[in-house]
This record gives sequence, structure tokens and C-alpha cells, in this order.
Amino acid sequence: MDNFHIEGSTYIPTIDFDAESGVLNIEGESYHEYTIEFFQPVFEWLEKFLSTPERDVTLNFKMTYFNTSSSRRFLEILTMLEDYQFDNNGNVEINWYYEESDIDMEESGEEYSDDVDLPFNLIPY
Amino acid sequence: MANPQDHFSVKAFKEELNANSISLAFQGVFTHDILSLIGHSLRDAPNNQIISKRLFAIAIEMAQNIHHYSAEKVYSEKDSRKIGIGIIAIGEDYKHHLISSGNYIESKDIENIIERSDFINQLDADELKEYYRAQRKAPQRKDKPGANLGFIDMVRKSGNPVEITIKDSKDEKSFFILTVRVNKEI
Repeated sequence: MDNFHIEGSTYIPTIDFDAESGVLNIEGESYHEYTIEFFQPVFEWLEKFLSTPERDVTLNFKMTYFNTSSSRRFLEILTMLEDYQFDNNGNVEINWYYEESDIDMEESGEEYSDDVDLPFNLIPY
Repeated sequence: MANPQDHFSVKAFKEELNANSISLAFQGVFTHDILSLIGHSLRDAPNNQIISKRLFAIAIEMAQNIHHYSAEKVYSEKDSRKIGIGIIAIGEDYKHHLISSGNYIESKDIENIIERSDFINQLDADELKEYYRAQRKAPQRKDKPGANLGFIDMVRKSGNPVEITIKDSKDEKSFFILTVRVNKEI
């Protein structure tokens, strides 16, 4: 299966999904006005990727800002991975990176970690 | 030909902005490029970094409310759809940064908006957090591109209520002003 890549800009994140290694990176800023449309190909790729059971999946979030609309999409991605973990014997791990001084980004990570039942690492940098 | 100054005085406009300590104001179509510019300008301001990010976050949520829900829309060739117009201004008083947005809304929506903001304004920090998480889990509202989290996020980021003023209410449309104060001291 092909890898997935979106080159980031000021308002969309850089997205790099490696099908072979199972390493999924989302990095940068996300405040597209139409996140449902923007993330549609992301969900399509993930759906295909997660149709193969028992994969090792590492999702690295390294965001510096995202709007509330993106926040919903991120929860949907995490929920897909949570379902995969339990229904398809996935081996999923989430790494949530945040700038050390960014207490809001740290709190966002903590909230997501409470929302899904997945190994969730909060990593300051 | 009339002197343009008869119609509009840039100097008087600037003086009014100064008198209200407005550092940034934009009126028009809130495209992504405009949002990015506002973001850069706020982040380059000599504020505490976390406060600058919070100001930016609040401005983005306001701009996206205008983009999606303003009752005044113009067609954008680039986006191939109609986009809302309105105004956002950022100023300050002694203790706060102030962000205000203004746009026309459908008068029939006023009651819901005020009910929602009143509810959110009386929640404490923990309740806000729980409400935010519950709303984020709720299904996407039909035909609404937004996440229904904007007001909650504004109150959480600012630590202050969202203040709503309605002006020139007419049968169909009313002017909606939303103001959020962000404390200068965390």
C-alpha cells in the first residue's frame, strides 16, 4: 500500500503516514476552515491501512496550534485507532509532543489521553 | 469632483483606533491568508508567548464563526463558495487584551446563541473541560462545518466569559458583537 503525504503550510499540518513501518506523523498547525473536507483523504487512507489486522502503529502528534474543528478530527483519528486496537489486535501507541512551555498543548494531550484507551505518551521538547 | 476627505478621513479613523488602543483590525472576507497574517502579527507582538497563542486561538475561532455563519456572504472564486464577512479588532485596556468580532447573523438564531453563551459562561474550569470533551465526542452537527466548541474554547483560553451585544436588530438580520477579554497576567 502507498504511503500518504500532505505538505504542510501555515494552516495545514504536514502529514506523513508510512504504511510499511506504521509510523504516522502529524506535525505543525491546523486551522483549515473545512476540516471535514481536508481530512477526508486522511480518513480514507487510514481506513484502508487499518483493514489489515495486527499492525504496529505509532502515531506522533507534534502540533503547535490547532483549531476546535481540527480537534474534533483528531479525536476521530484516535477513536479509529482505539477501535483497531481492540477489534483488530492492533498494537497502537500515541506520542503527543508539546513545547515545554506550552501548557495548553500539554493539557490538550492529557485530555485526549483520557478520551481514548490507548498507550499515550506526553513528551515535552 | 468631491475631495475624498469629505467622505472619509484616514486620520480620524486612525485617531479612533488609537483612542481605543486597537492594535489590529480587519474587515472583509476571512480567508486562510488573512488568518495566517493575523496569526503572525499576534505572535510577533511583545506578549508572553502563551498569551499570544491564546489570543491567536480566540481570533481564529471568531474568524471561523464569521466565515461560516455570517449572514452577509460574498462569493469567493478561489474557494468556489460563499464566505462570510465581518470585522475583528484587537485592542487592550489596562488589565486585558480585548478581542471583538462583529457580523450580521439571522435574528432567529439570537435566542439560541445567548442561551448557549449564558450556559457556558456560568461553568467553572472543570465543568468547562468536561463539557468541551463531551461536545467533542458528540456527532458532528448536520450542515454545520464548525465543531460547536468555539465559545467553550474562548472561555477556557481567556478565563473570562464571552460577552455578547446585539445591535440594530431587525426582523431578519441583527448585528452580533462578541467580545472576549484575555487577562494580561496569567
